[in-house]
Amino acid sequence: MKQNSLARILVLLIVLGLALSVAPQADSLPNGIIGQSEKGCTCHGAVPDAGVTPSIEGLPTTFNASTTYTLTISFSGGPSGQAAEPHNLGGFNLATSSGILEAVDDTVKIEGDQATHNGIDDDLDGNGLQDAIEAGGEAIISGNDYTSWLVNWTSPSSGSSTFTLAVNSVNGDGKASADDAWNLMSVTVAGPSTGAAVEELQSADPFVVLVTLIFVSGILLAAVILYTFYRVSPDGFNWESFAPWITEWLTSTDHKKVGTLYFLAGFFFLGVGGIMAMLIRIQLAVPGNDFLTQDQYNQFFTMHGTTMIFLAAMPLINGFANWLIPLQIGAHDLALPRINAMSFWLQPVGAILIFTGVFSGQAADTGWTGYAPYIVSETAHSGTTMWVAGQIMLVASSTLTGINFLTTICSMRAPGMGWMQMPLFTWSIFVANLMLFISIPAWGVGLIQVYLDRTIGTAFYHVASGGDPLLWSHLFWYFGHPEVYVVILPAFGVISEVLSTSARRSVFGYRSMVYAMAGIGIVAFIVYGHHMFTSGMSPTLRFVTMLSTMLVAVPTGIKIFNWLKTMHKGSLVYRTHTLWALGFLVTFTLGGISGMFFPSLAMDTHLHETYFVVAHFHYVFVGGTVFGMFAAVYYWFPKMSGRMMDEKWGLLHFLTAFVSYNGIFWPMHKLGVLGMARRHHTWFITTDDYTNIPAEMASWNMFITVSAFIFFFSNFILVGNMVKTIVSGEKAPADPWGGWSFEWMTSSPPPTPSFDPHNPPVLHDANEHVATEPTIFGQWFESLMMPEDETEGIH
Amino acid sequence: MSDDHDHDYDHHPSPWGPHDWSHGAPHNSFAPLVMSIGIGIFLYALASVFVGGEVANLGALSGVMLGIIVITIGLLIWWRQDMSFDGTYEPKATGAPFRNIDLRKIAMWVFLMSEMMVFTSLFSTYIRYRLGIPNCEEVFLSGEWIEGTSVVCFEPAAHLIASSWFHLAPGAANTFALIISSFTIVLALKTAKMSNKKYADRYEVELSDVHSHRSRKVAMFLGSTLFLATLFLTLKMIEWFVGFPTPGPLTELNHGHSEIASLYSEGYTIHASAYQHHAYDTAYHGGHEIPHDSALYSMMQAGTHPGGIMMADIRVGASTFFVTTGTHGMHVLGGMIGLSYMTFKGLRGGYGPSNAVSIEYFGLYWHFVDLVWVLVFPFFYLF
Amino acid sequence: MAHYTILGKDPYWMNFWGLMILTAIEVGAVGVELGDTITMSILIGIAIPKFIMIAAIFMHLYGDADSKILTMTALFPAFFIIVMVFFIGLTSPGAATELPAWCRPGYWT
Repeated sequence: MKQNSLARILVLLIVLGLALSVAPQADSLPNGIIGQSEKGCTCHGAVPDAGVTPSIEGLPTTFNASTTYTLTISFSGGPSGQAAEPHNLGGFNLATSSGILEAVDDTVKIEGDQATHNGIDDDLDGNGLQDAIEAGGEAIISGNDYTSWLVNWTSPSSGSSTFTLAVNSVNGDGKASADDAWNLMSVTVAGPSTGAAVEELQSADPFVVLVTLIFVSGILLAAVILYTFYRVSPDGFNWESFAPWITEWLTSTDHKKVGTLYFLAGFFFLGVGGIMAMLIRIQLAVPGNDFLTQDQYNQFFTMHGTTMIFLAAMPLINGFANWLIPLQIGAHDLALPRINAMSFWLQPVGAILIFTGVFSGQAADTGWTGYAPYIVSETAHSGTTMWVAGQIMLVASSTLTGINFLTTICSMRAPGMGWMQMPLFTWSIFVANLMLFISIPAWGVGLIQVYLDRTIGTAFYHVASGGDPLLWSHLFWYFGHPEVYVVILPAFGVISEVLSTSARRSVFGYRSMVYAMAGIGIVAFIVYGHHMFTSGMSPTLRFVTMLSTMLVAVPTGIKIFNWLKTMHKGSLVYRTHTLWALGFLVTFTLGGISGMFFPSLAMDTHLHETYFVVAHFHYVFVGGTVFGMFAAVYYWFPKMSGRMMDEKWGLLHFLTAFVSYNGIFWPMHKLGVLGMARRHHTWFITTDDYTNIPAEMASWNMFITVSAFIFFFSNFILVGNMVKTIVSGEKAPADPWGGWSFEWMTSSPPPTPSFDPHNPPVLHDANEHVATEPTIFGQWFESLMMPEDETEGIH
Repeated sequence: MSDDHDHDYDHHPSPWGPHDWSHGAPHNSFAPLVMSIGIGIFLYALASVFVGGEVANLGALSGVMLGIIVITIGLLIWWRQDMSFDGTYEPKATGAPFRNIDLRKIAMWVFLMSEMMVFTSLFSTYIRYRLGIPNCEEVFLSGEWIEGTSVVCFEPAAHLIASSWFHLAPGAANTFALIISSFTIVLALKTAKMSNKKYADRYEVELSDVHSHRSRKVAMFLGSTLFLATLFLTLKMIEWFVGFPTPGPLTELNHGHSEIASLYSEGYTIHASAYQHHAYDTAYHGGHEIPHDSALYSMMQAGTHPGGIMMADIRVGASTFFVTTGTHGMHVLGGMIGLSYMTFKGLRGGYGPSNAVSIEYFGLYWHFVDLVWVLVFPFFYLF
Repeated sequence: MAHYTILGKDPYWMNFWGLMILTAIEVGAVGVELGDTITMSILIGIAIPKFIMIAAIFMHLYGDADSKILTMTALFPAFFIIVMVFFIGLTSPGAATELPAWCRPGYWT
């Protein structure tokens, strides 16, 4: 069929395009992922010429540890020196696998960790001396004019060292010509004997580790997709059925399919963010570690934060929102299905942009907050521009999501479902999307300003021209603080659903729950200044935001008490999702309490930029959002997949993850109070008066790293459980847990469209026969609306 | 999936369009995927062309073009699915607060809420910098500068633009263009909305000819809107980059200059770290006499200030101006893209009483762009 | 769609001319030397009615069955706009140097 072949071609093109966009990036690592670059030589011919003989003199047969040797690099042969003037004789490039190279005189320069000749060759015509004369009027020493050079080499403490030397010999006419020839040699020098012949383990470049793991994760994901496809129909495991199947996934606007895509993206990036967290923890396990350099560490924590918040938490939340909002309110789909698909597809493309920097080794190193003026400076990595570009796409995605969900929840509820009959998860998604939707334009504008600053050269954040770095902080946190509530509120909704179902009673204080969420939503906009207490912000604003921040504890406290009261005198059923909800209550409350130290201006001055902050936001972010999402997975997975999850595996996952999670972040409070600074690539035990970091920190940091690895790997139990469930779980009934909102009324998995658009479900209330007088507010609001009778409203 | 409610889903929709709307909204589309990839390519390539205000790699412009082409392909798929929309599928809101209002209208208003926040952010940036950085004119008159050394100050574009009627002309013409375009699109709505009978009476045509007559008329109004939008952006480009000559009799009014320089050739650019203008020249008197009550005047009288030309770093002020008005211009461009589709659809007879609201809902966006200009114009062009 | 008239004429038509005249006054006011304060008040004084005229008549926030509720929707972001203008637009960038004396070192001796 014509349609089919078109789809096939498109799918192939997309796969090819993605592969092409990623492949060259991997190759552009500073040294390439493998191999040695022959910098400066390839222009003189494609293949090495045996007529040129390179040599290195001054190398010992066995070097001593940390000793400096002076090496003489020279070459003979080739067209060099045949010209009348003794200029432009040739050049060299020396790379070593270990040890440090230094220039002895001006004829040699160091580029990266390689040595090469010094040539002042502005216009790249190969005539360095002439350029030098033009530039300064005098002959500046040009390394091109020699055939031998001196380089100092400081040996490493152990191991062996391999030198790769490339030389070229040119005819001196200042142009690349066919005469010019080059050659390559390689020599290995053994290091000091260390007694027994132990194979020296070289630590790999963390970027290579990360990129490899990302590729491995991607391949695993593809394998899982193929496996699922195989299991769904073993007979149809061929291209003829695969093409329409994948086309359906690439083009679907069905809220359930888009929701599943969000899940795949979310879990994939949760894994990638987790890998980065593990590499960071390896670095911080022992004092003075050098696994990650400062430069790499900056990139890792930037990408970790960005990935976890924008590419893991938000898609996971959107996955549940996509799946459940239409089901919970009795709608057949979202209001704008194509817009919904658009907001999904912007995310993976944006993610690729954000990650281009990782593949080139020049990822954003600005922190997830991207503070100005560093973010617009030339010292910030080139990947920062792509980071900003990717974030702009995520902003567009969130805006479209906001339009869609607000419209859907406002206007597509089933008959009988007023605002105060909506399930709390729907309420939480409504408030979260409202906050996100109102706040994200501020950040979008900030990002566009930064993007333009970094590309066409506007000056919004150029301090020298009067630009104000605080403006960025303002625009960022005007969005950033609502954003942290955006990721926690859906977890609130999940916990409310899970606890009331598990306790087999309706949630205690439904109205106060709704008002508390709405209150959080409003207050979120006037508290953001507490992120900027030490930044020199207006003192009046500091005071205002200090008070309003303390106010946030009130609605949050109401919610905690309501959850406790829901369980009180209920009859609690301990399913896995219940356990996660109980775990959430503990960790989130602890995180909330530690958060109450920061609004106080005086306390904040002491605690900011320490691990106390790291502990706090991981307690609310992991212990709040991620635990809430885990509860949601165990709670709704049967509805989505139509199969029951394994409770034993679930219990094992909960126990290992909950314990190891607390093992990671609880000690961080102590580290923070003791004065360990965040965003620093390493730390040292000192007894200095001001930066006194006691020796016990070493034990705690190692303990945290070990816990982190246990936590990381414990989550594979969940992944395994999900795969196992899809493949061989027992069939789920429509309502496995005894929930009573609309999603439990459809089959598991639900049909498409989720409800019959011509015959929607109707919500009945036990008290609906009781006539209630509308309040004054209700009457006023009724007068604003279109008349009930449709014919009157026709315009 | 055993019990599909499949009476609406038994047809085989194409992800490429066209779409049969009597079965509801499209449930497959390649447009989102293709457009997203296009936007990614565009942003990636644009950042390769320019780095830190310099042209780093002109070759990447081909990437920018590729991105635009891919986005266009996505848009065309989207429109191909929409082309057959005739109002048969128009879901309405069921509950409070939007009871009985079309979902599309609600979505458009919700979208406008985020647009309000976008322009509030830009205006907040402007207010913060306008109030926080000393104004160039005040710095000049305070005498706290010396010739040859750049001082940081905020130069509102309005100081340049409102200084002469000729500078103001493109901006003022644009204001009228937008208001007229707001009017033409409302006329398009009115024409499309009229019932066939009323239309036949009003324009004295046969009832059977109403459809073709109406199509031409709606397309004409939509086309005039599109033309006015194009005029808006053209005048903006003239004002920014090109400038225009002043005919003989008007040259005298323009202080003897035979042309109006564009903002670019006046040196008012985002890279202007050494901006010089005759308004900040103590020797220039044409309409810019130094006020006698200023500090600069007394200092020059006392001989403590040598006078000369003030050199100013106005990059922040220029960035604010170009990006704010540019963002508005981008919104006009977005409207033009929508209008070109709508004009085409109107020509093919796509708008009648049953789906005239499509014009109204696009009109909401268009009027909003006009509304923003009502604020941008006085704050960036006049004051 | 409008179901009412202004002075017996089509409301869009009247609105259109009203806007044209107001804009002409606006441009004229800048051309005449009136001093900053007066110019500014005229500009704001004209921007507000123009704003309302476009929103009420062209965007149908007046006179339709759904006008009231949509006006409420359009006004919903007002709170957040005010917060942003106050917190971002009107706080001073030089706040660090403008700290009041009572929160500087050495005040409480």
